[in-house]
Amino acid sequence: MFSFALKNILFYKGRSITTFILTFISAMFFVVFVSWQDGSHNSMLENSLKIYTGAIEIYHKDYRNVGGNEYLIPDAKSITDKLSSIEGIEAFSTRYETYGLLSSKEHSAASMVAGIEPEKEKVLSSIALSLRDGEFLDKNSANCLYAGVELVKKLKLHVGDEVTFVGGASDDSFAADIFKLCGTFKTGSFEFDSTASFVSRAYFDELMYAKNMASYITIKVKNLDGVDRVNSEISKVLDDEDLESLTWKTLMKTMVEAMEVDNVFGYISLSLFLVVIFFVIMIYGFINVSSRIKEFGVLKCIGLSRANIFSLLFFEIFILSSAAIVLATPIAGYICYYYTINPIVIEGFAEMYKDYGVVSNEMPFDFNIYTMSWNLGLIYILNFLSILYPYFYINSYEPIEASRHV
Amino acid sequence: MYKLILKMAWKNSFLRPARTLLVITMIAVSMSMMLAIQGLYDGMVKNMIDKNKRSGSGDISLYAQDYRVEKDIKYIIKDALKIKEDIQKLEGVKAVVLRLLADGLLSTARKSSFASIHGIDLNEEEEFGEFSKFLKQGEINLNKRGALIGIELAKTLKVRVGSKIIFSAQDSSGDINSIALRVRGILQTTNVGLDTNSIFVDIKSLHKFLGTSSKDATQIAVMGEDEKLLHVVKSNYSNLDVKSFLELQPMIKQMQEMMVIFNSITFFIVMSVVFIGIFGVVYVSILDRIREFGILLGIGMQYKYIRVQIFLESIIVGLIGYLGGAVLGIVFLVYLRDYGLDLSSFSDALEMWGYEAVITGTIKVSYFTSTFWAIITASVLSVIIPLRKIKKLNPIEVIKAEK
Repeated sequence: MFSFALKNILFYKGRSITTFILTFISAMFFVVFVSWQDGSHNSMLENSLKIYTGAIEIYHKDYRNVGGNEYLIPDAKSITDKLSSIEGIEAFSTRYETYGLLSSKEHSAASMVAGIEPEKEKVLSSIALSLRDGEFLDKNSANCLYAGVELVKKLKLHVGDEVTFVGGASDDSFAADIFKLCGTFKTGSFEFDSTASFVSRAYFDELMYAKNMASYITIKVKNLDGVDRVNSEISKVLDDEDLESLTWKTLMKTMVEAMEVDNVFGYISLSLFLVVIFFVIMIYGFINVSSRIKEFGVLKCIGLSRANIFSLLFFEIFILSSAAIVLATPIAGYICYYYTINPIVIEGFAEMYKDYGVVSNEMPFDFNIYTMSWNLGLIYILNFLSILYPYFYINSYEPIEASRHV
Repeated sequence: MYKLILKMAWKNSFLRPARTLLVITMIAVSMSMMLAIQGLYDGMVKNMIDKNKRSGSGDISLYAQDYRVEKDIKYIIKDALKIKEDIQKLEGVKAVVLRLLADGLLSTARKSSFASIHGIDLNEEEEFGEFSKFLKQGEINLNKRGALIGIELAKTLKVRVGSKIIFSAQDSSGDINSIALRVRGILQTTNVGLDTNSIFVDIKSLHKFLGTSSKDATQIAVMGEDEKLLHVVKSNYSNLDVKSFLELQPMIKQMQEMMVIFNSITFFIVMSVVFIGIFGVVYVSILDRIREFGILLGIGMQYKYIRVQIFLESIIVGLIGYLGGAVLGIVFLVYLRDYGLDLSSFSDALEMWGYEAVITGTIKVSYFTSTFWAIITASVLSVIIPLRKIKKLNPIEVIKAEK
């Protein structure tokens, strides 16, 4: 049947070429589109994770939902001691976050002021790497403030200037101090750069009366793919009902959801192309078999079974699809691979979509063998489905009737 | 003669009904899907633009020079009330509102966040952009230090209707002031900036809180789409920063342009594939009847009549496909317009991006006219190569030839 199918393919050139080209185009388009879509989404998530959010964060229950000082982690050291023994954790640190008003001589702005452990933060997040002006914090930075460039712009400050802070301490009393602007950073996330500022915990804990307390503990894992395994180990080790350990999938739920929505719309658009191409391949397959009714009638008369006819049609579409996919795979693969390493850059893209959390002008692709495999598998399945109607059409004829068909 | 040709074309179109029906189904399904996708995407952008205009900038916004860069109440429009009255008299103006805006810190007993406070006049806003339609929970009431809060900000601060909030900001004299407010309602404007960080209070109270004159404002928003109006306002108030909606929202402008490009590419690709489908069927249909055409030419029928017949066959199939697609497309579009696509399970993400959880579509006549011409063109073009084959026929050879 295979060689019979091959002969048919070579004989009916019009149908073969059309099926080959359409399968090639749809396979290429599908693989490249999904790679671009996944790449953009991964990039957005990775950028967000790199900036500040940890792969895993440990909170006192209700801190995120209710908030307030009574839901701070009271004994952070006892937890961090336990974390040291867990395989898969690259680094961790405690953070104490509060919101307050920062005022320069003439201007005021609200800010999230976070007490951080500067040395650990260098490994955990990109805030140290995002230094724009001045210097990053260290353990002995005292009242040094490290603030986002947009926030600094709002307050009309320069490195070395003084800025007053008014906020609430961990015991609900007023906390006020004068900080000195030691450095500014720009992560590219407009919202973060216009609201966040940092002080070394060694100093901030005194001011906020927050020694050994933490808003949460942030954790970087060695391998992001194994984040769920590490998280379940953390939960086991902590063994405390008052604490919750959450992965980035929960912490960035809205963003993950947003990616899913974008995927839904992407697949809706793509389905239109695939449906039209499916129809055309089916039509050409149908035209092909309908012009061979007499031939099939004769073959049936000499003993060709229904299963043989199905095998014949199957091999025909299998050979054509395989040839198209074999050609499309390396080309599409190369495009995806190339743009994974050399992302497409659209100047001004991040600025335009800054409200949506876009921090980079780069649009990388995602070269993923598994994704490519299921994309190509789907094209195969669609092509195989396209022979069903022609198959049933042929079998609707009795052998004698078909052999006399004009 | 032409009546006979039409009759022959009609009958020949359905000579192989299964084949013809497949092409008709292909055209109808692809066209209806394309219409539904276009309608849905256009609806998303249209809805976003409409709500952004109504809740934010209107068609034109006026600011004091440098205000948009500095975001400081020092850069306030002096005597905005008089300017507003003058603009209202201009031709093409539907509504004008004054707004006062300040940035600060919004706190509850447990949480704090950055926020912008918007001083508005509820009656004017209602006339301007049907403000009450943005209400998600509670009531539209700014009396007795009442405040309305954006839905995302309410989520961040875990605030409900009835919650007490404190807003702290710098007033016009540079002092830090705080005001206690009671949340009366939660708004969803689908304007990302407003939903994520805004509270709305009565403009008079805000003037008092910030120590600004009740005649001043940080923004004058104008509703009136006339292009001439923008030029008039720009020339009349050259000392102010006058911007159109799309100048203030370059992202939406880019979104619109991207949508047009996307729809055009989709349209082109789909119609090209449809063309290949029709072409295949027409070509085979002509090859099937090559002896028939040879006989017709042999008995003296002019080529031009055969050409008309084949054109008509192709157009009939294209038209029936188009009608099927139009009917199916209308059903999809009406459903999307009236009920929308319910994506409530992704509501958080959609709200973050400025969309509603139920996305409604829009219907434009242009969807049907452009598709009509595209399908007719595809039908007509698809017969050109088969016709050349007939033109080259030698009637005697064709009649003699085995099929």
